[in-house]
Amino acid sequence: MAVFFQSLISGILIGGVYALIGIGLTIIFGVMRIINFAHGDLLMVGMYLTYFLFTLLHIDPFVSIIVTIPLMFLYGAFLQKFFINRVLDALPQNQILLTIGLGLVMSNTVMLAFTSDYRILTTTYSSSSFNVFGLSISTPLLISFAITIVITAILYWFLYRTDTGQAIRATAQDRGAAQLMGINVKRMSIIAFGLGASLAGTAGALIAPTYYIFPQVGSVFTLKAFVITVLGGMGSIVGATLGGVLIGIVESVGGVYIGSGWKDVIVFVVFLLVLLFKPSGLLGTSKD
Amino acid sequence: MKRVLALMLVLTVAVMIPAVAMAKTIKIGFINSITGSEAPIGENLTNGVILAIEDLKGKGVDVDMIKEDDMGKPEKSMAALEKLATRDKVVGIVGPYTSATSNADAKMAERYKVPLLIPAASKEEITRQNLKWTYRVSATTGDYGTILLDLATKLGKPKTMAILNENTDFGVSAAKSAEAIAKEKGIKIVFAQAYSKGSPDYRSTLAEVKAANPDLVFMVSYAADAILLMRQSQEIGLSPMAFLGAGAGFSVAQFAAEKEISNGVFSSTQWTKDAPWGDSKAWFQRYQSKFGKAPTYHAACAYESMMIMGQAAAAAGDNREKLREQLHTGKWNGILGEVSFQDYDGYQNQRKAQMLVEQIQDGKFETVWPAQFAVKKPIWPFPGWKK
Repeated sequence: MAVFFQSLISGILIGGVYALIGIGLTIIFGVMRIINFAHGDLLMVGMYLTYFLFTLLHIDPFVSIIVTIPLMFLYGAFLQKFFINRVLDALPQNQILLTIGLGLVMSNTVMLAFTSDYRILTTTYSSSSFNVFGLSISTPLLISFAITIVITAILYWFLYRTDTGQAIRATAQDRGAAQLMGINVKRMSIIAFGLGASLAGTAGALIAPTYYIFPQVGSVFTLKAFVITVLGGMGSIVGATLGGVLIGIVESVGGVYIGSGWKDVIVFVVFLLVLLFKPSGLLGTSKD
Repeated sequence: MKRVLALMLVLTVAVMIPAVAMAKTIKIGFINSITGSEAPIGENLTNGVILAIEDLKGKGVDVDMIKEDDMGKPEKSMAALEKLATRDKVVGIVGPYTSATSNADAKMAERYKVPLLIPAASKEEITRQNLKWTYRVSATTGDYGTILLDLATKLGKPKTMAILNENTDFGVSAAKSAEAIAKEKGIKIVFAQAYSKGSPDYRSTLAEVKAANPDLVFMVSYAADAILLMRQSQEIGLSPMAFLGAGAGFSVAQFAAEKEISNGVFSSTQWTKDAPWGDSKAWFQRYQSKFGKAPTYHAACAYESMMIMGQAAAAAGDNREKLREQLHTGKWNGILGEVSFQDYDGYQNQRKAQMLVEQIQDGKFETVWPAQFAVKKPIWPFPGWKK
């Protein structure tokens, strides 16, 4: 039983970070109907930022998100303004090619600059843990989970309580109508991509102390983010949150009871089952 | 005067070298994981080969190396081999790196009748399928398991073992060999599982390992997962008699540098700077000063493979069949000791390798086994985690 709760708790904790990645992707998709295949690479950029802030300026990874979030926002906004905005009306496959291309440019630029070496961010608490009822809980994962909750809460407040947030949601609901109502949809797109990028970057920062960093690390997470987003319902923020935690739990518990080599299989079986019975995802509305 | 004499000597030797070697360069293909997630170890192979080409030039063998990147993917690797064999018309190929890519390429080499020399992939089956054109410098996963369990049973009396391996060709093969060898030595396997690499969270699996309470924990993993596995082992409080790592991820400098988690971990290896063959120490220093990093055994294996391929190809001219004969009958002596390719234990064209065991002591790899090659005493049992 201890093993079950142990795997459940690590699943939930890691699921929090997955949720953050998924939310970023789903916001971008919601607003622009573009699937951002560079999402994992944005996460990778966030990891490298965190790594260098820590090794060069000695800023704690969890504190460094104060720097990472605005920087990644600007970077995302820049990508949107100069690249993505140009293909908003293009064929979907062209949009996909563009984001894949941007991702490749990012990972290969990082590889040229910093080589393909794995980098490990070692903090004093990187492998520390504490015991609750005989279960060991990883300190860094718990902190990152707490930060995830705070960030998600702020995000909800922003999207539901502020004018800009509502304008973003309006754009997501119906781009044409939003434009007719006087919403600057291009600007909303820039903000949305900026938000998505900073969420991906934050997720990168949060797992940097417990994971490893290398230029191709993004591909692992792009696929995960995609599964989470589709599972939760494309464009649904609550859905992505739920999807992230669910994937975390399924991976962890399934890994123990079926075999950790089967982790991905289990995830995709769950994914297919959900889509089979609810094609629009857990919380998705079948639109488009 | 001396200089003039030397110059004359060089000139005479140059004239005497057969026209084949002089007239044109030898085309040799090299397939490696230059990008992709295997790139960190792939880099070692590339650098090893660069040194080999320098040394071959010194021996009067001019190699025109055609480099192909397979990104660690079997299908890309097969395409690369096809291109090298048909379009570039190389005489022989060195590579690729991983077991999965090598196994795929071995069959392609057979089809195109091009000699393939595998430097560092250790999956047993690669040289057990009656292939005529595949030769392997690397040791096998059986060798990895044997030397580690040899050490464990000589130093202590372990009764149980847990195996945790990556679900790749290399990982599965290493786990299978280790299980067989453990049975021979009377060690009970209390836990065996393959994990899929790149996951940020192995805690649940490690908690299961801990619950099984094994004397030995045998892990097989590529580069960075090794660090993650050990880090999370510390978190969970998994503390067996010994951690045994089957090369790859446990033999890279980044792993050793994580002193807190790497201290006391054993890793099997095919070469260390203390290896008693050739001029290993000087080669280690030459590599380090040229590339600014310490080489792993992969670099040494790749170096030796290219040296063998270059020399054999020079002797064979531009003829693949003759090159194969050269590989089949030849003997070489370099930083891996004497290399020849033999048929034994169901293997074909396989080097019989003398394995070594390194232990990480205070952030440094120290050769601790077998006793006649050891430079430091092994620390046994596992010293436990620092609080």
